Formats: sequence, structure tokens, C-alpha cells
Amino acid sequence: MDDALRAVADPTRREILRLVRDGEVAAGELARHFPSISRPAVSQHLRVLADAGLVAVRPDGNRRLYRWRPEGLRDVAAFLDELWTDNLARLKAAAEQREWP
Amino acid sequence: MTDIDTTVVEQTLRIAARPETVWQYWTDPQLIRDWWGAADLDPRPGGTCRIESASGGVMRGEFLELVPYERIVFSFGWEPTDGAPPIPPGSTRVEVSLVAHEGDTVVTVRHTIPADQAELHRSGWAAHLPLLAAAAGR
Repeated sequence: MDDALRAVADPTRREILRLVRDGEVAAGELARHFPSISRPAVSQHLRVLADAGLVAVRPDGNRRLYRWRPEGLRDVAAFLDELWTDNLARLKAAAEQREWP
Repeated sequence: MTDIDTTVVEQTLRIAARPETVWQYWTDPQLIRDWWGAADLDPRPGGTCRIESASGGVMRGEFLELVPYERIVFSFGWEPTDGAPPIPPGSTRVEVSLVAHEGDTVVTVRHTIPADQAELHRSGWAAHLPLLAAAAGR
């Protein structure tokens, strides 16, 4: 869960996710979308995304193709979902007790 | 629910109290303590929102929008303490809506990890935004 949260907290990585959401994109092509970022830095972002399970990668000849794994974000959603379930249950109890003491 | 830049979590709950009462529980530091944690709240746009929960995590963000008894929007993240989720202060967005219903209040919380539009513009991606918006289904 921590890995996925860290991965999506970065704007460059969110842009990469958007670029790969509709299909496979080669690493080199992704790097060309970020002219102000060095190639190794883009590779590092891709590694973080892959380690977090947010993208899948497969080799194709001498290229590496990346695609989005939507299921990778489910842990983040599950964590926030649990946080709000707990919080809102306590809010409900507190507010109702004040309204109907 | 698992879109890159849209809703991560949305929850709705009906509370047997008036919106005025529920509103106070979101904006009064003494009352938010009863359900979330010790808070430093300045409920006006740009004002601080810092809440220390019993479990030790410190949520920090700022109020973005307040419509009395109807709507509260604030940014949300955790201060970098041990065990805190790596969501930096202010990096996600929470929208709370309060709707009166037969004397009760229907509370909806929408928590998103938003795409940073400003970052997109800075990196020259403005031209792609309509495409991205279409891809994201918005």
C-alpha cells in the first residue's frame, strides 16, 4: 500500500500513468514525453511504478513495453476507504448524541 | 473508483442530526476532537487544517472552500512521521457535502488523489489535456 501511495503522490509518475492507460507504450517513447527529465530519471520513475504494481512491463525485442495496471490503486483506495468508514462512524455517533442527548 | 486522477474513495452516510450540527463537527476544533483528533482549524479558504489522530498520524492540509451547512473542501495529506502513509501534506483533496433530508443529514465524502493541472501545464502538456480528459472519462 505504501509503495502505491508513494508512486501516485508524484506528478511525473501520474503523467506516466496517464500515458500508458490506453495501451502499451515503449520506455523510449515515454522518455521523449519528458524532455526536461533525464532518461535515467524516467527509468527510475518507471521502476517505482512497476515495484508498486501500478504498471506492468514486458520485453519486446530490445524494447520494454509498459501498460497501466488499474488494480494497483486498489490498495490505496482500500486504505482511504477504511479511514473514512471509521471516521464517519465516530462522527455519526458524536453528532447524533449531541442532537438527541 | 480506481481511475488515475479521479475519485479514489466516496462514502455516503445518513446522520440523525441537522446539517447545522454536523457542520460544527467538521469546523469546530473542540468538536472534531470527538471523532477525529486534536485539531488546529482555521475554517476559511486558505486556512490551516491540522488534525492529530489518536493513532499518532498528523493530517495536514488547508481549507479550500466552505459553504456554510452545505459543503467543505480541504486538501489532505500526512506529515512525514513514522508509519504515516506517504501522502504529503496538501496533496489530496476531500470534498464533503451535507444535504438535509427529512430532518437528518446525508453526508458524502469524496476523497481524490487529483492530477496536478498546474504541473501538467508547466511540463508542456496543456495541449494534451483534452485528450487526457476524454481518456479519463470526464
